[in-house]
Amino acid sequence: MMCPPSILRVRIQNRRRRFGLWLPLFLIWPVIMVLGLVLLPLLLICAVFLWPFGWGRLLLFGGPVIFSLLCALRGLKVEVNQSSGQVLVSFQ
Amino acid sequence: MTDNQRRILEMLAEKKISVEEAERLLSLTGRPTSGEAGAFETPQVPKPKPKYLRVVVTPPETEHGSEAGTGIVNVRVPLTLIRAGLKLRAFIPPDKVDQVNEALRNKGLDFDVRNIRDEDLEQLIESLSDLEVDVSDEKGAKAVRVYVE
Repeated sequence: MMCPPSILRVRIQNRRRRFGLWLPLFLIWPVIMVLGLVLLPLLLICAVFLWPFGWGRLLLFGGPVIFSLLCALRGLKVEVNQSSGQVLVSFQ
Repeated sequence: MTDNQRRILEMLAEKKISVEEAERLLSLTGRPTSGEAGAFETPQVPKPKPKYLRVVVTPPETEHGSEAGTGIVNVRVPLTLIRAGLKLRAFIPPDKVDQVNEALRNKGLDFDVRNIRDEDLEQLIESLSDLEVDVSDEKGAKAVRVYVE
């Protein structure tokens, strides 16, 4: 079963400054889900009105596609280390 | 002869890879090398499905010894991201598909986004399991590695 990443780590560091972020995404997903459920009726109504213009499909099926994209981010890691600084972005 | 073995021999004939690299690739595909003639044929264990595409760039001289997979650049991309990303093509409006194809053609990619099938993508990902690109510096140390794990 696919599940979205739980933690996002971002670290940006150069000679003068350092920025680190450790984001517990597992706390944010339930909030987004509740928000999505609340907005779902409005989304359906907009999809019906915008269907003749071609946007209805995007509104209806965009959610599951975005969810699968988010789930696919699990394991993504980009790390660049240089003497002048380093950048780390990691979805765990 | 399997498709992978044929492709390896074609690359060797076109001098895209050296003899040593061809031998190593052929041994990975299960064909016994000349030094192993007469050896028992080991049962072919199904290869695990590739999960990540890795790009690792290491400095020419490591300091204090580095762990495997670390270096100046270390990128790990889940292959599921490719599958999920291709689903976005379903949202291209039908009247815009031709414009997209034209733009791709201008960039040298002559194919139709409508013809991309999930089976083709799975086959591409399966074939990536044999992908390994090693670029070495003048001292023979591996400077750039692109592989799938």
